[in-house]
Amino acid sequence: MSAETKLVSRTEASIYHAHIDALMTLQPEISGVLISTVDGFEIAAKLTPGLSAAKLSAMTSSLLALAEAMCKETASGACRDMVIDAEKSRILLMELPHHKQKLVLAVLCTNKVTLGQVLWAVRTCREQLSRRLDML
Amino acid sequence: MSPREYKLIFTGSMGAGKTTAIAAVSEIEPCSTDVANNDSGGHAKATTTAALDYGEITLTGGDKLRLYGTPGQSRFDFMWKILGQGSLGVIILIDNSRPDPLRDLRDYAQAFGDALAESRAVVGIGRWQTHPSPSIEEFHEAVRDLGYAAPVLSVDVRERRDVLMLLDVLFHQIEAAEQHAVPAIADMETP
Repeated sequence: MSAETKLVSRTEASIYHAHIDALMTLQPEISGVLISTVDGFEIAAKLTPGLSAAKLSAMTSSLLALAEAMCKETASGACRDMVIDAEKSRILLMELPHHKQKLVLAVLCTNKVTLGQVLWAVRTCREQLSRRLDML
Repeated sequence: MSPREYKLIFTGSMGAGKTTAIAAVSEIEPCSTDVANNDSGGHAKATTTAALDYGEITLTGGDKLRLYGTPGQSRFDFMWKILGQGSLGVIILIDNSRPDPLRDLRDYAQAFGDALAESRAVVGIGRWQTHPSPSIEEFHEAVRDLGYAAPVLSVDVRERRDVLMLLDVLFHQIEAAEQHAVPAIADMETP
């Protein structure tokens, strides 16, 4: 199944790509952005060559689903963000609210990034994107 | 001797009943990672497992079974590998109402080939009463053709006794393969 063809209109796809481009321009330490469905289908992506959007979509889905289960188990409330701090990069995972369906967002950054700054930029992008999509 | 823990895997196609099977026998509230399902072509159900299911059963004597369910779709095959690590045995659930259940069997048998090769696996055929083809014998032949030996049973994973039967048969398989005593599911304490 191709989520982009079945789940997203051309208008929506262009909105996703415009916001991804704007975010990556604003934060040059962001090396890739991926938007996918909660069950792991790619919606829109801008990734470095060699990375599979399909595979990363499924992994994002699994990780956020597991994070939500852990938040539920520990009575921590709704899961907001997930940060993976790796040797060579940082990866942010978060939900992307959308009136039609809940989506997830994965942002890949270099390890030089200032976490607070990129978190703020990504959350702002997410809110703008949600508002824009809700207007459709 | 201190109680032991055994890790068992439930795998199989989307909608085969892995989440249901674990919920049917777990003595704790199962941990599930269900999310909205956008792939109506794969299965019409509303939700699907994105990471894992988890449940527990305590046996007489205190030994514990830790039950893990995998996501069904092959795009989550990285979870199959992660969850399969360190597992004692595998239960492959097949939905016989799907277009090609024998292919499903081959796919999951290949993914969990190590367990099948060591006779640490059992195959449960669901919805067989309403979809009797392929037959149980055809599944037996398919397992044999793959070079493995694993019991094949018709099950209704909504029924606790059917899931316990699968676990019991799996443990007998493991016992026969490893030739050392393991606890009998029949002695399981009622939660």
